[in-house]
Amino acid sequence: MKKEKLILLFIATLLGLVVAGVLFYLYQTTKIVSTPSTKTITLASPTPTVIPSISLTLDRPKDEEVVSEKVLIVSGKTQSNATIVILTDSSEDVITPSADGKFSTTVNLEDGENILEVTAIAPNGESIVIKKTITYSLEEF
Amino acid sequence: MKKYILALLFTAFLSCTASTANAATSPTPEDKTAEIRDQLITNIASRVAQLKLVERRGIIGEVSDATNTQITITDSQNNTRFIDVDELTKFSDPTAKGTFGISDIEKGDIIGVLGLYNKESRRILARFVNITSLPTIVHGGITSIDNENYVLNVTTEDGKLIAVEVENLTRTNSYTQEDGLMKSGFSKIKENLSIVVTGVLDKKDKNRVIATRIIFFPEIPLSPKVNAASERVKSR
Repeated sequence: MKKEKLILLFIATLLGLVVAGVLFYLYQTTKIVSTPSTKTITLASPTPTVIPSISLTLDRPKDEEVVSEKVLIVSGKTQSNATIVILTDSSEDVITPSADGKFSTTVNLEDGENILEVTAIAPNGESIVIKKTITYSLEEF
Repeated sequence: MKKYILALLFTAFLSCTASTANAATSPTPEDKTAEIRDQLITNIASRVAQLKLVERRGIIGEVSDATNTQITITDSQNNTRFIDVDELTKFSDPTAKGTFGISDIEKGDIIGVLGLYNKESRRILARFVNITSLPTIVHGGITSIDNENYVLNVTTEDGKLIAVEVENLTRTNSYTQEDGLMKSGFSKIKENLSIVVTGVLDKKDKNRVIATRIIFFPEIPLSPKVNAASERVKSR
């Protein structure tokens, strides 16, 4: 009796697998796979990076610095043949750097926030600008 | 067998109790001192870190949003900055007739902020907020001159064409290597020279500046970038 049951169970499982296999095969053959539409991707040619012919770095002052003295030292480095224009809210100064490109000067600040703009102009006219906000204040907080 | 297991469990229990009792003994005065010292070191280190985290800073920018507790501005480098305001923040406007407070600050105002900048949160806790103005500075080359109307057409390196109005009060200087910075006038200004103009932006026309100060450079020609930008403008 037990042996018969086992054989029946085996046959039923086998039949089930066969039916499932047939159904899967039918499903696969009737399935419509949409063909992927071709896309043309145009890669934009990379824009060439413009290398400026002039450089400028400011060592002093730091941007957003709060100072307690009205006379501010401005120093930095650029190319030796550049012309440096230093503008504040109330004053302007034009200087030339030393042979190694270093420069240093002083500017007078107004009360409160001051915009300091330093421009280095190369002999060919190209320029580079650094803008900083400096605040003169004696307030304690 | 059971006896042996019970004996083993009893021994284990005893050893555990003994070690716990040992650990729970009252601390000696030396231990207390060490504990206080450690706590003090921790507190000082925490305070030093806090002080290093905060610094005094001053910024200028255009208000893009203002609420009772926060002002959002776009600073001179075009960055969005968040400013916290509290009951200690003082507000001022040189042109205001009465009292001036946060509710009077509107979108588009230029404000100067002095406060404590937190390096971690990158926010400023404002102590002083005041309405101010920003000068307009133009760098470029003189591409044409309107002698009748005293207007200089200046092309910048990024291709903007700015009309610079020269008025009687405009301070004009020229700079040469030999003479340095010299007082000059409108008639001395020529085309195709480099120029730096400081002025006030015309409220009606954003491409027009009323000059307060001019420095032109007779020895420095137009930047190649200005030339290219000028050619692009002409070809349009």
